[in-house]
Amino acid sequence: MGAALAALLLSPVRVRGDETCMSPYMPKITGQEDYVYVLTLGIDGVGDGSDKLVTIGGNPADPARYGKVISTVSVGGRHEAHHGGFGEDRRHLWAGGLDDSMIWVFDVAGDPAHPKLVRTIDSFAKESGGVIGPHTFFALPGRMLITGLSNDKERGGRTGLVEYNNDGKFIQTLWLPEHAEYGYDARVQPRLNRMLTSSFTGWNNYMTEFGKVVADPEAMKHFGSTMVVWDFHARKPIQTLAVPGAPLEIRWALQPRHNYAFTTTALTSKIWLVEQQDDGAFKATAVADIADPKQTPLPVDVSLSADDRFLFVDTFMDGSCRVYDVSDPHHPRLVHTQRIGSQVNMVSETWDGKRVYFTSSLLSNWDKKGKDGEQFLKAYGWDGKRLTPLFAVDFLKEGLGRPHIMLFGQERFYKNQIYAGDAARGAGLR
Amino acid sequence: MRRHRLIAAALLALVGAAAAGDPRLGAVDPAAARYTYAVGAFAPEYTPPAPGSYSLPPINTVTDHPLLDADGRSTTLFAVTHGRLAVVAFVYTTCIEATGCPLSLAVLDRVDRAVAADAELGRRATLVTISFDPERDTPGRMAVVRSFHAPRSDWRFTTTRSEEDLRPLLADFDQPVAKLRFDDGTWTGLFRHVLKVFLLDGRGRVRNVYSVGLLDSALVLNDLRTLLLESDTR
Repeated sequence: MGAALAALLLSPVRVRGDETCMSPYMPKITGQEDYVYVLTLGIDGVGDGSDKLVTIGGNPADPARYGKVISTVSVGGRHEAHHGGFGEDRRHLWAGGLDDSMIWVFDVAGDPAHPKLVRTIDSFAKESGGVIGPHTFFALPGRMLITGLSNDKERGGRTGLVEYNNDGKFIQTLWLPEHAEYGYDARVQPRLNRMLTSSFTGWNNYMTEFGKVVADPEAMKHFGSTMVVWDFHARKPIQTLAVPGAPLEIRWALQPRHNYAFTTTALTSKIWLVEQQDDGAFKATAVADIADPKQTPLPVDVSLSADDRFLFVDTFMDGSCRVYDVSDPHHPRLVHTQRIGSQVNMVSETWDGKRVYFTSSLLSNWDKKGKDGEQFLKAYGWDGKRLTPLFAVDFLKEGLGRPHIMLFGQERFYKNQIYAGDAARGAGLR
Repeated sequence: MRRHRLIAAALLALVGAAAAGDPRLGAVDPAAARYTYAVGAFAPEYTPPAPGSYSLPPINTVTDHPLLDADGRSTTLFAVTHGRLAVVAFVYTTCIEATGCPLSLAVLDRVDRAVAADAELGRRATLVTISFDPERDTPGRMAVVRSFHAPRSDWRFTTTRSEEDLRPLLADFDQPVAKLRFDDGTWTGLFRHVLKVFLLDGRGRVRNVYSVGLLDSALVLNDLRTLLLESDTR
């Protein structure tokens, strides 16, 4: 049980960032990415020790920069930097610190190889009325939706959703409803006008040494066990679903008529299907175990392919990625397992499903120690059957820190150009 | 539906006439010239929440800006909206993205009919389409596009006198627009832009922003009615 709880604790802090799970209100990079932006938590004595945004070359057509560190921009100090997301037009990348609730906005469009820090918001807790731990950054038209993990009163799991406009001005706070007060992720299915939120734990747990949390039975009681269905446009909770075991990342299916989403529970190691019923209400059902739940594999991040066929599930404890065929969402079928490293946390898939990236870190106090505490970004190719290594970057050797969320950038997207190759293969615009 | 097809055909003819420039455009993969937001097209499958059952907190506040109306007369944004609720859309009339300006015009066309059929909305709301292509979208061209739609409500088709007038307007609304160029730097005649439609209240405050995935005429109308109810209870 202790191991299970420990695993549980490890689960909270992964980020999402894969292209297929990003906001449907934001344009996607559909072809080859040139850059992988990695939000990285600083380590005392490693490089400058600060949290930073690291830009890695991701295009094999540029061998001089492929798999190499192109640039870094430090935010100064360590804030438990973790998650981030682009705004509605990808010009700016927002990111947050789970410890002190700092928010940074980077200009990516100006020079996509060298993002610049252009705005810092240090008033999140005050402006939001007490929400802390900015987690998910989800682009909405004209604004940014930010989920909290905690609150500044008792630093437990009660929290809310906070909206800012694109200029970094506070708009509103929506507290999670009674009996479902914990928060984690938020995802919108525009076609259905429905938003789903999931639940994790508060600052008291995620900022405490992992071993101490596991050893504290009271602390272990404070994990989320609910998901909330919202009328998105009205921003009103309309249904609470029981999903025991800390449901984390939410992935709506992307194809038409696929009115469902997946999540995984960190503590109970299950894949859950959240599906709309004939009457319009949603139902949550555990549809598969992930590895052997008794061994506490600790599923952290997930990614769903754009064709809704493959679900990639990272399990932190064994450092592995399991790929499930979810063509039948009620009966996921394990089709491939790949060990990525001694620990693995984030998984980010490209829109075309051909490349999958992984990073290693969970939280500063929860990552493995010693030789198992490796920190990396690893790129793999995916051919529908197996993952094949492409390149790896050692974030300790490079003096960077603990890599978390990954987001993609592309020169042509920001340069607003049509290259010769497009004309060569195009069917023609007129 | 037949009417919308006729409007689309008329707009395409307009686009064809305007875009008869660089022959390289004829060989370009359409996917390279448009944004992809999601798998497939956005088709709402919900009933929007009832007017007044929710709130629309201000997102931003815009200021007044000079415009040219479709008759070539100088005016301003606030002279057009005149303290009324306003649905403001930025377009260019030669846009070929199905999820771009044609969608914006189609949705506003539906809103126009509904507003005209509602006496209260007809009196207290206006629609404003603003071109961000002043070079080609002259007042005359905006008048042609207006004639396609034959507005029944107070739906204005406007442009700007120059890039100098346009830039601060776009910046105020946070509506970035960029020219899409060939790799030799020449302009394709197309723009890259995230489709946006703005809902303004009578004080110039942005109360909602609609883009692909949110731009639905039923939703816009319920938002307008929500703001009417809000002002009635004040």
